[in-house]
Amino acid sequence: MSGKSSREERREQRLQQESEGERQERRKRLLQIGSALVFIAVVAVAVVIVVNSTGGDGGGEVDLEDTSLVEDQLSGIPQQGMALGQPGAKVTLYEYGDLQCPVCKAYSEEVIPNLIDSGVRGGAAKIEFRNFTIIGPESVPAGAAAVAAGMQGRGWDYIELFYRNQGPEASGYVTDEFLTEVAKGAGVPNVAKWNKDRKSSKVISEVEATTKEAQTLGFTGTPSFAVEGPGTSGKESLGTPGSAGEIEAAIEAAS
Amino acid sequence: MSAPAEGTLRAIATFVATFGIGVATYITIADSGGGSPVCVAGGSGCETVADSSYSHLFGANIAVFGIVGYVLLLTVALLRGDGARMAGFAISLGGFGYSVFLTYLELFKIEAICQWCVASAVLMTILFGLNAVRMVGYVGRPA
Repeated sequence: MSGKSSREERREQRLQQESEGERQERRKRLLQIGSALVFIAVVAVAVVIVVNSTGGDGGGEVDLEDTSLVEDQLSGIPQQGMALGQPGAKVTLYEYGDLQCPVCKAYSEEVIPNLIDSGVRGGAAKIEFRNFTIIGPESVPAGAAAVAAGMQGRGWDYIELFYRNQGPEASGYVTDEFLTEVAKGAGVPNVAKWNKDRKSSKVISEVEATTKEAQTLGFTGTPSFAVEGPGTSGKESLGTPGSAGEIEAAIEAAS
Repeated sequence: MSAPAEGTLRAIATFVATFGIGVATYITIADSGGGSPVCVAGGSGCETVADSSYSHLFGANIAVFGIVGYVLLLTVALLRGDGARMAGFAISLGGFGYSVFLTYLELFKIEAICQWCVASAVLMTILFGLNAVRMVGYVGRPA
């Protein structure tokens, strides 16, 4: 009787030991899985951060060029909204442009600096940039970003710096990061406000309105120019003049 | 040193996850109207972060994913057993890793700090700590 009981006790003990062993084994296995998860998480976070810091997601750092060149070119000239020059200048030259347009970039680099030196800096004329978004959908946020910068007196810094750092047409380079870097480079004082303004319906509507206006004036390409002054009857279309000289002559005639 | 009682860990995790749901819900609601969370101590950090391209993932505000994460963590805090212990550890580890990445973005990419995001990162870190202690201390043991 007692022999049977001790056999049962031993059996019970053995089963308990086996069960405890299984539990220990299971615990060991689960802890190993936990360690593997930690390892994977550390590697994943490290990889994502490294990829991000090298710009692999397309939204990395933007190295702007010609920031000081633009600053020098525009220094000392008053700006109001998208207009560059003395507010009381008799003649206004309107430029209808698209920030993504490579021809506009060429004008910005080769024609506009001459006009600034010959007419704008002296106070004879002011140039007003108006968005004419024809390249692609990204032209609208780009134009809106410039208008929002104009609300803080940095519209022309924004336009000129954008052109100097323009990417290939509609290639997707117009990201929030790119626009923000241009705003910072252009010296927009309150970037948070600019960020809010550029997305506002008021600013987007303005970009759409000036595009419609350009179409009403009969323009089909960018940049297109118009001039208005005492010598003109309202806004006179100049189309796309081939040189700074032609525009200077038009300003002279409008004076 | 022995781990705190599992019931205590679960109770704290329940409280912290509930708080996390509140924070993530506030960020989601504040963003849904085109606005941004209001920084309690002033400043425009929250606005800058909310307006950045990093604030959305697959078209949804990342705070929505935060709500899902906290709800899952609340659920596993209420459940017993190894499944809940391992799930709690894995989810909080993912949340903690993502919080580290978001903090990196705030500091080095967006260059602005949003207090609400920091609050969420702190809560997720606490939850990771609680779930890690729960997993290491009790996994493989009877519930």
